[in-house]
Amino acid sequence: MTPPEKFAGSNLRKPNFVLIAAIIALAPAMARAQFLHPKIAKKETTIRNVVILPAKVNVVRDSMKGPEGMAAESENVSGRVEEALSAILEKQKHVKTLNPPAAARGEGDAEQKYSIADFQTKFDDLLPRILKKRSDVKKGRFTMGDEVLNLNLDKSVDAIVFIRGQGQKLTGGKTAFVMLVGGAPAYLKMQIGIIDAHTGEVLLYTDPMFAGDPTTAIDRLRKALEKGFKKLPAATVQ
Amino acid sequence: MSTFKIRPLIVLALCFCIAFTSFAPVANAQKKTAPVEATPPPVREEFKFGKVDLDMLEQVNLLDRRFERDGMVLEDEATNAYLFKIGHGLIPAGLTLENVSWKFRALRDPQPNAFALPNGSIYVTTGLLSLIDNESELAAIIAHELTHVMRRHTYMQNRSNRKKFLTMNIMAAVGAYAPGGIVGAAIQAITMIAPFIIMATMFGYSRDLEREADLKGIDMMISAEYPPEEMVNVMKLLDHDIEGENIRLFYNDHPALQERINYLSSYLGARADKVTPQMELNREKAGYFRTMEPLMRHDVQLQISGGRFRSAVYIAQRLVEFHPDSQNLFWLAEAYRTLGPRAQQLTEKELTNSAKKDAAKKQEKRTDEEIERELLATPAGQENWKLHQQKSEELYRRALAADNPVAVAHRGLGMLYEKLDKKTEALAEYEKYLELAPAPADHDRIQKRIENLRRTPQ
Repeated sequence: MTPPEKFAGSNLRKPNFVLIAAIIALAPAMARAQFLHPKIAKKETTIRNVVILPAKVNVVRDSMKGPEGMAAESENVSGRVEEALSAILEKQKHVKTLNPPAAARGEGDAEQKYSIADFQTKFDDLLPRILKKRSDVKKGRFTMGDEVLNLNLDKSVDAIVFIRGQGQKLTGGKTAFVMLVGGAPAYLKMQIGIIDAHTGEVLLYTDPMFAGDPTTAIDRLRKALEKGFKKLPAATVQ
Repeated sequence: MSTFKIRPLIVLALCFCIAFTSFAPVANAQKKTAPVEATPPPVREEFKFGKVDLDMLEQVNLLDRRFERDGMVLEDEATNAYLFKIGHGLIPAGLTLENVSWKFRALRDPQPNAFALPNGSIYVTTGLLSLIDNESELAAIIAHELTHVMRRHTYMQNRSNRKKFLTMNIMAAVGAYAPGGIVGAAIQAITMIAPFIIMATMFGYSRDLEREADLKGIDMMISAEYPPEEMVNVMKLLDHDIEGENIRLFYNDHPALQERINYLSSYLGARADKVTPQMELNREKAGYFRTMEPLMRHDVQLQISGGRFRSAVYIAQRLVEFHPDSQNLFWLAEAYRTLGPRAQQLTEKELTNSAKKDAAKKQEKRTDEEIERELLATPAGQENWKLHQQKSEELYRRALAADNPVAVAHRGLGMLYEKLDKKTEALAEYEKYLELAPAPADHDRIQKRIENLRRTPQ
C-alpha cells in the first residue's frame, strides 16, 4: 500500500529544471570542434577567395501538435547564414567571397543548374561519412574528386563552401512544455564544409550551433560562426 | 527505397506528401471485352480547407518552386509534356479541385520513387522512369499519385498526425508529473507505451491511405483505358532490389508487398469485366523507350554520380538492347568502368534484410574509394574488376566504331587507362578527346589530368 505522504505532492517526479536551465544558459553560441586538412593546418594551402554555394538550412516550427514546415523562413535563414559567414571570413580571415555562378541561384542554362545541383548532392552524400568520423578530415580522408573542376569557377577561387543546417523554433505552448516537461529547445545547428576548388579535398569541416530562435537570433548566429571558424588561419592581407 | 542517401529536399517533400510505393502484382487478371464504364472520380467532396490546410498549401507551393530553382526538376520539354499527357488522360474530364493546379514533372533523382504534393504537383523520379517498360506502367504510377491529391490524403494525414502529436505531448506531460507509488508507476508505464501505440496508428493510417490510392488508381486506369494489370509489372520492377536498399523497418507507412498483391488481385478480379483488348494499344514498349531515351541516359549519369553503379549498368544495358548507338554504348561502358570491383548483382544472402542493414551501415562509414580498395584486395574483387574493365574497354571501342561516334568515349578510355596505370594510352585518349570535343564543360578537369600525367614518369 502506498503511504499517504507519497500523495502529498512533495514526491512528484520533477523534470530536471537545473539541467535544462544550464543547457539554455551555456548554449547561446556553442561551437563544436573544427577539423582542418593537414594542408591548411600546416599552412601549405591558403584560402584567399571562396565561393559560397546556396546554403540549405531547414527550419521547422515545433508546436504541441508536431513540427510544421517553415519554407519561407528557411530560405531567409539560409541567406542570412551565407551573408554572416561571408562577413566573418572577410573581416576576420581576410578571405574574399566571390559571386557564385548564376546557375547556383536558379538562373541560366539547365546544364549549369544541373551541374551545381549534382555537386550539392555529392556533398550531401559525403556529409554522413564525414559526420561518422569528423576527425578524419585532419587525415585528409575525404574528397569530392576532381569533378569539382567541372563547375568551371573563376581561376582565382581557392575553395567552395557548402552550408547545411537544421533548426527549430518553438511556439509559445511548446516553449512552456519544454520548460515544464523537457525536450529540445529552439536551436540552429549547421554543418559547414570547405572544399578545395582544384582538387575536391575537404579542407575544413565545422558544425557550429546555438540555442535560440533561428529566425531571429542574428547575434547568436554570428557568434556561433565566429567560434566555428576560429581555427581557420587568416590569409595575409594583400 | 534506400534511406541512407536521402536528399534533404526530398525528405522535406515527403513531409508534405504521400510517397508512391510499389504496386502489387495482380495475379491472373483476365481481360474481358465489355465496354469500359467511367468510374466516378475519387474526389473527397466533403473536404473543406481550414487554416492548417492553407498553411500547408503555402509550404508546398514554396517547395515546388525550390525544386525548380535548385535544378532538381528535369527541364526537358518532351518528357514533361509526355507526363502531362498521361496525367491529364487519367483525370476525369471537367474535374476541377479547389487549390489544385496539375503539374507532372520528372525529378532528377536516381532513386526509383514518385510522390504527389497536395497542390497537384506530381513528381516521378528519373530513376523510376528509367526502370519502367511502357506507358501503362507509368499510368499506374500517376493514377496512384493522382488519387492522393484527389482524396486530399496529405491534408487528412496532417490533420490526423497533429491530433496524435498533441495526444503524445499530453501523455508525456502526465508521465512527467505522475505521482509516486503503484498508481504513479502505472501512469508512467502507460505514458511510456502510449507513444509507440500512437506511432503505430499513424503508420496504420498512412497504410490505409496507400491502399485507397492503389484501389482508386486501378479504377482510374480502367476509366482511361489502360490495362490495370500493368500495375503488376511496376510492382515487380520495384521489388527488384538492384542496390540492396529496400530495407523493411519495424514501422512501415506502406502495406507489405504481398498484402498489396492480395488485395489488388481480388479487387481487380471483381472488376475484370471492365478491361478491354483495346487497352493493349497503350502497351508499346518501343514507343515508351523512344520518348524516354534521353531521360534514361541522363539517369545513368545520375546513377553513377550517386554511387548506384549496379543500377547504372542495368539501365544502360536496357538502353543498348533498345538502341545500340554510340551514345548508349558509351553509357554502358561508363557504367561498367565505374562498377569496378563490385559484383554486378547482389547474391541472395546480400539481399536479406539484415545483410542490407549491415551494408547500409558500412556504406555510411566508408567512402566509395575505400570500398573499392577493400574489394580490390579480395580475389573476387580482382576478378570483377578485370571483367568489368574488359567489358568497358570493348564497349568504348564499339562506341567509337559506331556511326556518329561520341568523342566522350575517348575520355572514358583515358580514365580507364589511367586507372590501369597505362599512362601513355591514357594521355593519348585524353588529348584525342579535347581535340574532338568542342569546348567541353570538363575541359579544365581533363587538361589537369593531362598535365599530371605528363609530370609523372612513364
